[in-house]
Amino acid sequence: MTKRIPLIARDLKQLYTGFLIAAVALFIVCSFLTEFNVMTLIANGDAFWEFITQDFLPPALPKASRIPGVLDSVVVTLALAMSSTTIAAILAFFVSLFGSEKVSPFPRFAKVVRGFATFLRNIPALVWAFILFSSLGIGTGVGFVALCITSFAFMVRAFVETMEDVSQDCVESLQAVGATFPQRVSQAILPSCLSGFLSWYLYCLEVNIRASTIVGMVGGGVGLTLFSYIKSFRYDIALSIILLIAAMVIVVDQITGKLRKELLK
Amino acid sequence: MNIDLTQACPVLRNRTEENDREKGRIPVKCRQRNRFIPVFLIGVAVLSVLSLLYLEIDWLKMASRVGDIGVVFWDLAHLDFSNMDLILSSLVETISIAVLSLLYSLILGIVFGMLAARNVFRIPVLSVVTQSFFTFLRAVPTPVWVLLMLVCLGMGPEAGVAGLCVHTTAFFTKSFAQSFESIPDETIEALEVTGASRLSIFMNAVLPAALSQIVAWAGMRLETNFSECAILGMVGAGGIGYVISNSLQGYDYGAAGVAILLVFLVAYCIERGFVRIKKKFS
Amino acid sequence: MKPILKFDNVSKHYPNGVHALKDVSFEVREGEFVSVIGPSGSGKSTLLRAINRLIPISGGTVWLDGQAVSALRGRSLRQLRRRVGMIFQNYNLVYSLSVLQNVLHGRLGYMGGVKGIFGLYSEEDKQGGLDLLEELGLADFAYNRASDLSGGQKQRVGIARAIMQGPKLLLCDEPIASLDPSSAKTIMDLLRYMTRRRNIACIVNLHQLDVALKYSTRIIGLSKGEIVFDGPPEQLDDATIERIYGTSRENLMMGGNRDDQTDTADCA
Repeated sequence: MTKRIPLIARDLKQLYTGFLIAAVALFIVCSFLTEFNVMTLIANGDAFWEFITQDFLPPALPKASRIPGVLDSVVVTLALAMSSTTIAAILAFFVSLFGSEKVSPFPRFAKVVRGFATFLRNIPALVWAFILFSSLGIGTGVGFVALCITSFAFMVRAFVETMEDVSQDCVESLQAVGATFPQRVSQAILPSCLSGFLSWYLYCLEVNIRASTIVGMVGGGVGLTLFSYIKSFRYDIALSIILLIAAMVIVVDQITGKLRKELLK
Repeated sequence: MNIDLTQACPVLRNRTEENDREKGRIPVKCRQRNRFIPVFLIGVAVLSVLSLLYLEIDWLKMASRVGDIGVVFWDLAHLDFSNMDLILSSLVETISIAVLSLLYSLILGIVFGMLAARNVFRIPVLSVVTQSFFTFLRAVPTPVWVLLMLVCLGMGPEAGVAGLCVHTTAFFTKSFAQSFESIPDETIEALEVTGASRLSIFMNAVLPAALSQIVAWAGMRLETNFSECAILGMVGAGGIGYVISNSLQGYDYGAAGVAILLVFLVAYCIERGFVRIKKKFS
Repeated sequence: MKPILKFDNVSKHYPNGVHALKDVSFEVREGEFVSVIGPSGSGKSTLLRAINRLIPISGGTVWLDGQAVSALRGRSLRQLRRRVGMIFQNYNLVYSLSVLQNVLHGRLGYMGGVKGIFGLYSEEDKQGGLDLLEELGLADFAYNRASDLSGGQKQRVGIARAIMQGPKLLLCDEPIASLDPSSAKTIMDLLRYMTRRRNIACIVNLHQLDVALKYSTRIIGLSKGEIVFDGPPEQLDDATIERIYGTSRENLMMGGNRDDQTDTADCA
């Protein structure tokens, strides 16, 4: 047997081979479990295409009397994302101060704080919405709290990581100077991490614009409007709502992108 | 001393400084500050307050029911394992849908990412068209696509996989194109002069160089896909989300508690596993 | 001269089983310039941080100015820390603030809570900071962002911040390990000048043997957490050096700079 000459480093090769084997194995197992077959999808392609061209196209506007309501639901979605992200960011800032062993005055509780955030984060926003919905009743308030919970948990993790990356050293030096914990926060952590925090805030806002469309399906917002048009088989109107959602998201993404550039100058 | 200093280095003078000096105070802050940050903070605060007012949330009513949240959590904590086989099979279905959509999108993402990257085929129109098309697909949230696929394809995992694929492919196309474009032009030029074709340059230089990033993106996306997949059931597709929403609406909190706990555990395992792999290979 | 720092059988072991310090005892008197030398992982950094309790010790007592450091908590610990200046290998400045603001951080330990939080320093403190910057040759940079400075300049800001505290003792943790040779010389000269002029005792962790020999009035050799040498530089013979570093003097002088790189990585 001749030994082949390796082209890449061994550990990388192991990673890629492992990844490939895992991918193929997972593919076979999952295809078997769900009985999903691309071929049937392609075979049904004609019906699919017909459906799109006949039922969805061309996009139609809702009745003129409904238009203000639709626009209002867009504004509700935006307001939901904006307010919940801000409230969550403020809470996350204070909590994240206690989430890092290097920064917190009570290093022993740092793990507890992070574990709590991990728990909140790993349950999707819509599940939170459903849990809250069965106790608080329907309404935008539920969507607001659900979005707050997930974005709070996400930002706690992001803020803790930013702090450990950026301000661990200067916190140590201010500790050596004899500064109190609030002084360390305001004089070392805030100035050095603020732009990092704000950039995470903007990212979270982008995510929440999409999420609030979905959470809106259980209480107000453009998601509910879309859902109701699909349920009443008005697919052409639904398509224009989808276009509206896409436009809203793209515009927000553009704005946050510009802001982020300005912030990191 | 004050005067000496400003005369020695006139650069020190600027407006706020002079203001401060007139009041007899020595300034401490930087000369070039990012003046945008305070403006941004005020803007965000104003917008958020306006948003809160616009939402007209009935805080009093919510506050009066806060106790009920505790009751619900208490009920959820009474785990009920009697429906375990249904819950487990729907969990497996959810994971399978997440994995399948990830794998299909991975292949599609590499193909479309190749088209969208500006440095692979060097046809600007092609990359602009591909990129803007996928920007549109990405802008519409996943559950909306799943909803549409449900309408087109009917109930079943097909709709879930296809719906998730749309968004995941769009995400991969953008991030892979970015990874491909980060490869220095010199590398590609060096291969060009050897007379290699565009496709073989892509397969032999661009793709291998971006491989580690592709693996990283895939790992990151698996997390998102699983949580997206878990909520699909709530908009009408099958899987664990259906079990959660159904049992919550039917006041079967014990079963819902088990399902939510499982969703959390799987999501947590994926996250930890990914962090491990990242640490090992970074 | 009276001792201001006294180590009494101090030991430290980390949860992962590493014994960083084993029964370390010594005294430092006013005006001394002590270098602590030893290979990476010999416990130099732990020794320094045990003094102002950035790292809590596991056994023994550290006496600072007649007070037992390990017994202090909260406010009294902060009052002790403000009398001990510290200089770091990575400068540990807040890079988004101005040079002057960084220097004034040295006064935070003396200020009331709210004033310190908002950075409302008194006029005397500000003037003192400006004077100090001029003494260190940084007057023109007082209103620059700390991130705009070069490595040597950043370390000078670090010195200014520590001197601002009005300390009795200055701790320097590898102050020149991240600097080029000429800035390193400037920093060491400044350290000696500033501490002599103000009669501040100074403890410097050093990796470079030649620098330690040139500047210090006394050298402490540390190996695997134990003191193996304590005396004036003249007494440090080749056999002792070999005991500290586990290698001969020639090897150290030749490979000195290369070792710095690995040491930097270890400390970070």
